[in-house]
Amino acid sequence: MQILIYGTINSVALALFALGFAMVYGVSRLPNFAHGALYVLSGFITWTLINSLGLNYLISIVLAMIATGIIGALIYQFVLIRIRGMEISEIMASYAMGLAILEGLRWGGFKGMTYTLPAFIEGSTSIAGVSVDYQRLLVVGIGAAVVALLWLFTRYTRIGLALRGMAQDERAAMMLGIDSDLMAVVAMGFGSMLAALAAICLLPLGNIVVEAGYNVLILAIAVCIVGGLGSWVGAVLSAFLIGFAQILTVVYLGAHFQMVVALLAIILTLILKPSGLFGRQKELEERV
Amino acid sequence: MLEATGLMVFYENMLALNNIDIRCEANQIVGVFGANSAGKSTLMYTLSGIMHDIQKKEQMAGGERITVMGRIDYKGQNISSLKPSQRAKRGIILCPERRRIFKESSVLENLRIGGYLASPAQAKKTLQYVFEIFPALEKIKKRMGGFLSGGEQQMLAIGRALMAQPKILLLDEPLLGLSPLMQATLIKATREIRDEMNIAIIVTEQYARPVFPIVDYGFILENGAAVMEGIREELMNNPDVRSAYFGVEET
Repeated sequence: MQILIYGTINSVALALFALGFAMVYGVSRLPNFAHGALYVLSGFITWTLINSLGLNYLISIVLAMIATGIIGALIYQFVLIRIRGMEISEIMASYAMGLAILEGLRWGGFKGMTYTLPAFIEGSTSIAGVSVDYQRLLVVGIGAAVVALLWLFTRYTRIGLALRGMAQDERAAMMLGIDSDLMAVVAMGFGSMLAALAAICLLPLGNIVVEAGYNVLILAIAVCIVGGLGSWVGAVLSAFLIGFAQILTVVYLGAHFQMVVALLAIILTLILKPSGLFGRQKELEERV
Repeated sequence: MLEATGLMVFYENMLALNNIDIRCEANQIVGVFGANSAGKSTLMYTLSGIMHDIQKKEQMAGGERITVMGRIDYKGQNISSLKPSQRAKRGIILCPERRRIFKESSVLENLRIGGYLASPAQAKKTLQYVFEIFPALEKIKKRMGGFLSGGEQQMLAIGRALMAQPKILLLDEPLLGLSPLMQATLIKATREIRDEMNIAIIVTEQYARPVFPIVDYGFILENGAAVMEGIREELMNNPDVRSAYFGVEET
């Protein structure tokens, strides 16, 4: 029972990490290696808004999400757009942006144990004899809501549909009047906002530390590779796969093996089914 | 309405389009005929601006060097430097070769993505119209794009292009690989679309016979150059055209 509950919570957390990454990759084929940095950055923005400016928690959250979205969009508009379509350069440039943000924060003094965000609701309850704090339950709820909202957004709104078109065939979308550069910026903005949302849900469970940026990035990449790059459904499913695998490892092998699971999942996927569970490698056949 | 003058496109040093002048008036159907590699698709990509995107991507990837020269005027405005999305906004919509359906979206969703430029009211009206001219699509509107037959895909591709509210529709080889029956359906629909939506259409095809009856004006492309042009009757009575594009041997 404990495994079931904590496995679910862990899986939803992973899905939250990965959805932003998957969205950006799906729409504009950009492996956004600054994803983890944006995650940490939004945590510190929220902290600053609450503690330095004395704003209300809820307002700070909303502002931090918007700010992170804008920062992501600006990074795309001014840096990444110039190297669009060159995968290696995209990885290097986005990773460089991520490094600059993370190490800039460290240099700016954002380190140590003092940075914590308050939980939305304090306290805990017990489900079937397992005690769970409300924040973790809230994470599951928000995660489910995000997945549902994303599903609705990409199927019933004009921008969402345009993003879906872009994700499937960029040039065909262009022929229908969809501005691919603009949509890529929009996708990066939304992806960054998702990173911020994940940060705001999950950071209250611990301290905000710069190192989390690197871990989140690796976890997001692992989830996306296992699920098939660019597939949102795949990302959610593989988040559950890896999430439960991690909890099982913690229970039966020990906590320090947790990170190995994600890396092992990447390696196994690349050996056994490089396109991932829901990959788009089928397109290759057509090009031949 | 749309007028291109002196269009030249080079892939590296290979000349794909050689000094082409082409024009299309409002409410006209213009046919462009030519064999494989005559430059039909290159012409369509250049008119719709997709060539700019191909050029940019090739340049970034260090691939082929593509050079585009010449001038395209649309409604008296020079649009040669506009992006594809800006041209689409002005009403130049390309329905591409091989159809490029969104495979993971249903038929209805394909059409709704096509309606990006349309207002909600326009989208609703056009959706009805598309189902009117292609009743077959309405029956399969829940089916995924990847599971459609060639004919269904082509109907969907045309319908999707119509959703983008074209003023001039570029149809690139709409009959490719389809049965004569489906070809006849599509040709009839093309004429209806022109008559009912009052738009201009430029259609390319390898084999002229099925398309010719609805064409007002035609161009013949050979190796990237327009070797002949004229109104339908003129081309139809030309012995060279008859033998090359109609399969009629003169005796």
